[in-house]
Amino acid sequence: MAAMDPDQVSRAFVDHYYNTFDANRAGLVSLYQDASMLTFEGQQFQGAPNIANKLNSLPFQQCKHNISTVDCQPSGAHGGMLVFVSGILQLPGEEHPLKFSQMFHLVPTAEGSLFVLNDIFRLNYA
Amino acid sequence: MDPNQVAKAFVDHYYSLFDTNRPALAGLYQDGSMLTFEGEKIQGAASISAKLNGLPFQQCQHQISTVDFQPSGAGSGMLVFVSGSLKLQGEDHPLKFSQLFHLIPTPQGSFYVFNDIFRLNYG
Repeated sequence: MAAMDPDQVSRAFVDHYYNTFDANRAGLVSLYQDASMLTFEGQQFQGAPNIANKLNSLPFQQCKHNISTVDCQPSGAHGGMLVFVSGILQLPGEEHPLKFSQMFHLVPTAEGSLFVLNDIFRLNYA
Repeated sequence: MDPNQVAKAFVDHYYSLFDTNRPALAGLYQDGSMLTFEGEKIQGAASISAKLNGLPFQQCQHQISTVDFQPSGAGSGMLVFVSGSLKLQGEDHPLKFSQLFHLIPTPQGSFYVFNDIFRLNYG
């Protein structure tokens, strides 16, 4: 993992994250740990179970994320990476997709993958 | 002081400087600081300052809509996620933007910007 280009690593993570969100939302829980924090439209959640609960209970069954931009920088925290995403979220039956921005702070696990320590999500209203 | 309050004060200070004394922003970055501005990557206070000073407008006003904070797990670092609009002189329609800061404490009890990512949010 250390030899891979950080831009590639963050793009691969982002693709995996949103594919999981769109196809198997319950699977997101494994990307968070006890210390993880989510701020979702200003609401704060801590720990994988609470975060998974929030994401699983969002008021739509199906959705599709389309990513427009992905920016990453090393966070200075022992291999941590900041990832800043913008894109749109399409919900079935809704004519107009929702625009959003999201930031992730990804931190390496002992096994050599990444988990989400920090997650902040905001819709971008017109 | 509550770290959230310190971070909020920092954000207010940052945009206030940007709008009234842009060269002074250099003091908020250090050699290791990184800025990604609309996809362009810049490193170090001097280069970052040159980029910001060289933006193609003299005057601007930032209006902040949302500010979210979380501790970054990097020795008292704070992640700050901002959204707002940027009004340029002579432009009818403000530009919407989102920005991420990773603030690291200084020995003097303030913060400096270690990471900075800026993106316009197009309509």
